[in-house]
Amino acid sequence: MKIKNKYTALALAILMTASSCSDSFLDESPTTAISVEHAIKTDGDMMEATAGMYRVLQGYYLFGRNATVFGDMLTDNVYLSSSNSNRLIPHNNFTFVAGNAETRMLWQQAYYAILQANRIIGSEIAENDNVKYLKGEAYAVRALCYLNLVNWFATPHTVNPSAPGVPVVTVSTDIAGPLVLPARNTVAEVYAQILSDLQTAFTLMPATTPSIHINNTNFFSRYAVKALEARAQLYKGDYQKAKDAALEVVQNGGYTLSTTKAAFTAYWAATTPRTDKLETLFELNNSATANNGVEGMDWMYAKGGLGELLVTDDTYAIYSATDMRRDLILDGMRGNNQVYYVNKYQNTANTDRDEIKMIRYAEVILTLAESYARLADNANALKYLNMLAQNRDPEQKAYVLSGDELTNTILLERRKELAFEGLRFFDLTRTNVSYTRQNMGAKAAAIYPSVTTTDFRRLQPIPELEIAANPNVGQNPGYSN
Amino acid sequence: MNHSVYLNFAPAIRQLSKSRERFTLLIGLLTLLLFTNAAAGPGSSQKAGASALTEIKGIVTDTLGSPIPGVIVRVKSTNNATITDEKGAYELRNVSEGALLVFSMIGYEPQQVIVGSGRLDIKLKASDVSLEAVTITNGYRVTHIAENTSSTGTVGGKALENKPFSTVISSMQGQVAGFTAPVTSGQPGGLVDVRIRGLGSLSLSSSPLFVIDGMIVNSGKLGYNTTTADALAGLNQNDIERIDVLKDAAATALYGARGSTGVIVITTKRGSAGRTQVRLDTEIGVSAAMNPPKAGMPLTANQYAELFRETLTNSNFTPEQVETLAESYGLNSGKSNNWYDLVTRTGKQSQYNVSVNGGSEKSKFFGSLGYLSQEATTIGSDFRKISALLNIDHKINSKVALSAGFNVSNVNQNTPYSSQFSGNPTWAARSLRPFQLAYNEDGSINTTTPGNTNFPGIYNPLWIAEKDKKLLSATKMLGNLKLKWDIVKNLSFSTYTSVDYNGLEETLFLNATMGDGASLKGRSKNYYTRYFNWLSRNQFDYRYNIPGFNNFYVSASVGYEAQKSKEYLLAADGSGFPSAHEDLTALTNAATPLGTYGQYSNYAFTSLYAIGEVNFKNKYAISGSFRRDGSSRFPKANRQANFFSVGGTWNVHEEAFFIKQRFLSSLKIRSSYGTTGNANLSNYAWVPQASYSIAYGYAGYNGQQYSSVGNIDLKWETSKKFDAGVDIGLANDRFSLTVDYYRNNIDGLIRSIPTSYTTGFTAVSQNVGSMLNHGWEFTVRGDLLRVKDFTWNSNFNLSLNRNKITSLPAGTAVTNGQYYLKEGYSFYTYYMREFAGVDPANGSPLYYTNESRTEKTANIADASLIVQNKQSNPKYTGGFNNLFTYKGITLGVDFNFNLGYWIYGASDLYQTSGTYYTYNKYRFVYDRRWTTPGQATDVPKMSTTTDNSVSTYRIYKGDHIRFRNLVVGYDFKNLGVFKNLKVSKLHLYGRATNLFTKTFDDRLPFDPEVGFSGFDSQDMLQYRTYTVGVNIGL
Repeated sequence: MKIKNKYTALALAILMTASSCSDSFLDESPTTAISVEHAIKTDGDMMEATAGMYRVLQGYYLFGRNATVFGDMLTDNVYLSSSNSNRLIPHNNFTFVAGNAETRMLWQQAYYAILQANRIIGSEIAENDNVKYLKGEAYAVRALCYLNLVNWFATPHTVNPSAPGVPVVTVSTDIAGPLVLPARNTVAEVYAQILSDLQTAFTLMPATTPSIHINNTNFFSRYAVKALEARAQLYKGDYQKAKDAALEVVQNGGYTLSTTKAAFTAYWAATTPRTDKLETLFELNNSATANNGVEGMDWMYAKGGLGELLVTDDTYAIYSATDMRRDLILDGMRGNNQVYYVNKYQNTANTDRDEIKMIRYAEVILTLAESYARLADNANALKYLNMLAQNRDPEQKAYVLSGDELTNTILLERRKELAFEGLRFFDLTRTNVSYTRQNMGAKAAAIYPSVTTTDFRRLQPIPELEIAANPNVGQNPGYSN
Repeated sequence: MNHSVYLNFAPAIRQLSKSRERFTLLIGLLTLLLFTNAAAGPGSSQKAGASALTEIKGIVTDTLGSPIPGVIVRVKSTNNATITDEKGAYELRNVSEGALLVFSMIGYEPQQVIVGSGRLDIKLKASDVSLEAVTITNGYRVTHIAENTSSTGTVGGKALENKPFSTVISSMQGQVAGFTAPVTSGQPGGLVDVRIRGLGSLSLSSSPLFVIDGMIVNSGKLGYNTTTADALAGLNQNDIERIDVLKDAAATALYGARGSTGVIVITTKRGSAGRTQVRLDTEIGVSAAMNPPKAGMPLTANQYAELFRETLTNSNFTPEQVETLAESYGLNSGKSNNWYDLVTRTGKQSQYNVSVNGGSEKSKFFGSLGYLSQEATTIGSDFRKISALLNIDHKINSKVALSAGFNVSNVNQNTPYSSQFSGNPTWAARSLRPFQLAYNEDGSINTTTPGNTNFPGIYNPLWIAEKDKKLLSATKMLGNLKLKWDIVKNLSFSTYTSVDYNGLEETLFLNATMGDGASLKGRSKNYYTRYFNWLSRNQFDYRYNIPGFNNFYVSASVGYEAQKSKEYLLAADGSGFPSAHEDLTALTNAATPLGTYGQYSNYAFTSLYAIGEVNFKNKYAISGSFRRDGSSRFPKANRQANFFSVGGTWNVHEEAFFIKQRFLSSLKIRSSYGTTGNANLSNYAWVPQASYSIAYGYAGYNGQQYSSVGNIDLKWETSKKFDAGVDIGLANDRFSLTVDYYRNNIDGLIRSIPTSYTTGFTAVSQNVGSMLNHGWEFTVRGDLLRVKDFTWNSNFNLSLNRNKITSLPAGTAVTNGQYYLKEGYSFYTYYMREFAGVDPANGSPLYYTNESRTEKTANIADASLIVQNKQSNPKYTGGFNNLFTYKGITLGVDFNFNLGYWIYGASDLYQTSGTYYTYNKYRFVYDRRWTTPGQATDVPKMSTTTDNSVSTYRIYKGDHIRFRNLVVGYDFKNLGVFKNLKVSKLHLYGRATNLFTKTFDDRLPFDPEVGFSGFDSQDMLQYRTYTVGVNIGL
């Protein structure tokens, strides 16, 4: 009996092993992923892929911090305090090189977002309103990423459209394979892709948001797409088309500016996405569970966060005392020094942080004003300039200007309105002007005062790891490979 | 015998190592020596032959009466000798009466007997060094060394016992040729990365496979949050009987798909029949910080202040601005502190072990309990381990035997962050300015963030160490059961099942006041990770004696093995902790959930294997193995692969001609060739994945990202290993010399190829190219000196490993991070801009612009990348371990060394560059910086605009010799009073570790023991220990 039990045990052991002989024993698959070829098969899949795509934009290597912060840090708007957490020093000091990690991530994450967009655009599921809308959003995100890339890494279109731009990739890597080594397209070619994507998106997206996702400012809408097109046309220097696109938004978009100081204050204090078409066309969600914490742009700017990226005295001085936008700057102390803090991002103490403003109605109005001015339609230019200027500063008398004076006033108004939202640098580069970064002396981490039009650091270096892997991409002048 | 001959072997051998031809030469020389000696023998041997000659014969057996074939019987100091046959019988003619007969055999204590007349039967006792000397174990079977065809290094349990290291691997440093395991962090319990015979793969892990009592265990770092932890830290060193390091194909091919990077076979202690023995070991002591070299000590307050002002003055700041900044940075405050002293401390440590061992011939047991506690010398870091082991062997009847083992342990480890994180105390100590004040006026810890005398960047490490929690509690259970059934004579069947369980609880708490949790009002993350790994193996063993011969047999084993490991992760993340109750750090107290995670990750292997061996009279043996492996880690079409090996050995000392000489007492020549694989890739690496995660979700919607490029064509990488070796015994095997030459050709290398970022991915794993590792290994061991009661036993080993890329796809970029990737070069050859010194005129750093190093530039962007004749993996590694005994006194002195390699200061830009003038600097930067025109130096002028990007400026020579272990002990067992108490051991000892390190670069700013890539990442400093202990045997 005893012996019998032992042999039973033995037999069981053999059986246990034998059971693992079958081939399925070796079948294991991940529990948090599916093979990419099966990933987008339904509208729901596509919605999830779209959400994943937006989330890339929100990361702090893109619009969650660097892509936005650099747009002011490299200009005359802000400076890094001498008492700082060592974040982004090379960019503040203008010492960034081809090996710089932030620059590399600015490049890489943009292409990672483009990959997500390409996969959505290329997916072959039956077209319906959901699919058309989501694909439209993917086209818009792709255009946004290319516009960002081409303006950081290449010569402005207004300076030389045939200069090397960035490689244009429109096919997902699961189709094209991971070993493609694209060369840089020209700046003009990149713009052509951007504008084509935006026009495709606008045409493709149904007029009403389908039920697949909520209709709020966290997602690209049709008129947000059109507004982005206005920006792209303006950067390109095609003022006629910039005017057309901006006018389309103004006339048909249904957006409004806040009408009172209280509404303006409340607008900047809010943390939730909007559904009322007030001020914002598109902003990135930055919720309690999905913000960038201590790495966020808001954390770097706000007095309640690091508060180390400060407004230059010159910038503060451009606002009149009655300009409600001056209240978005705080006069305070940092250590023993009087400094000005950026106060556009006010919710660092809350778990739900400020949304990241991507496209605002005010920008559209100013683009429209500038386009009219450049097209020598002074009346319309003044109409839209005054519309914004007088909205923000009730004491502001209506401007009566023309020529360069008018254009420069619109550009100044643009600086006032869009400061600390990451667009200043592009306005300086597309207009191809030399500029001075105010020397804030011992308050500042370092001094790099004069950025001339010939400064090679107006272009970011192509990341050295990109060039190492892909020799077809050439480096920008002034940087080593 | 002049033992200095052996000590001087190394340089000679280094010369010889240049090529394979030299190896042949070496063998030739030895053979020549052997025969010259043999030829010269007879003439000189008969001096004492005055008395009558006789013939003598007899049988040699072991203590149990079994005959021992192959024993050398020699008339002392003559060449008159013979060997016992398979029945243990011998016969010697022409022996003078009264002569001394010497009986010797590897693994047995030699015996000398005065010749009477006629018959002389001898019983040989197995020598004290016991098992490890006479057998090799590979986890599948135990082989007598006479049959062994493989290159395997063995460490006996005694070398590991009572060492004050938290992981057993640390104690193995310098013990086995070809085995390297740099300890890169002073974190007790930290991961120790092991390499056997160098780099095993380009992108897959090169860590060897770990096998404990037959079980292929999950090893490495198993947790998610702890920066460094070793799955084997739970193992009690005192429970280990032996560790076999399998190096060549003959040994590792048994592990087929996973043998490519070597195998480490750990065998725990088992019971022995007889009186129950109790053993108590206790040890207590302290540990002291092992300071970095002087060149790397942080600056004092005065030095820092001087450098700060100088840097700014050199950077066009006006004197007023410099003074304003100096004032704001507290340089004039007269208040400063020494951060290095603040983050280091004297640690305490202790260990207690008790074991019981005994049983009858039918049932035997070994049981033990252990406790080890270590407090690191860096704040916030400590380690505690409790372990228990029970091994039982029971003969159910004459045919069936059962073995069972159960090993359980719990490790509690607090681990601060490593590398360039604000929470890394070592990084903080190197970076914080002396003027950032640790304490407030009232003596409390300073937690203020803004202000330059506070902590706007790196957090106050004292506060982080006190308030943050980074705890790992790991429970490890290893159980196994084996039944062996002797079916008929020479045929047996065994079934073996083992379970390897690891449960890891990681609790992270980041306080709300300062640090990574501040923006979230406190944060906690908890991870529960469970690994359930089982393996079942059924094996038949058969031995066939070839008819008509004695001691000529074939033995074979065939088996089938299946293994599955299931990992389960459950994790949660929350923020917002009670503001006034800082003790409430449990995750449940969090106000806002930030993330939840639950997932599995599994792998499976199946294997069919066969091992065969032919042994002819212990003179010649041939072995072979075949294995067919399947793995879940490869795409279905490529998941099966075959591996094989063949090996042969010639025990020259069993030949009649051999014993005609006395210079060598044994000589064994062996060689093997075979293939193995590497499956050290992550579980689903081949799958192109679109994955879901809380990190991909957006605005309330679930998020999916195409996150992993995968490769549906991924295949095994295969290593073809060749090994040839000799084992030479001298002076009755008082010394032995083992020499091995090996070549590992690795084909189908899986490399993570950098892709254009425009694909959205940074790299893709592909099978590309091949690589060669080749090298020499030398081990000399034995009693160098034996004078009356004094013996000096020594073990010197030296390994030379060379790595070379042999093929790559056309067009492969030569830049591979900081390395040069090209056929003919070592994978770890540095490739970077070359620092050409400092321009004496203005202090600018200069760089070469051409490979011939004739042109220099001050603009680093114009410098060219130059292939350096410097690589990060040591050319020479080894150890020199000595044990001196005099009566009851023992003195152990162990060194280990790594020579011929260079370290890149990957994260010390901040400690060297003027751009980061707000960071403290290395001492050598202060001492050697350029200050005045005309000054010749190698540290540039300090300025905020100096570009200190990657260049050889931050390459340091890593060569070092470490005085690893010093132990002095005395055994009191022979003192009358203890003798009466029947105490079998009463050993009292004092031990010191890491007493001294000799380095060879006066700029080297950190400890040179870094990982295999040669990057220093400012991890926790190692420490030295001073302990006293007692071992009692009852």
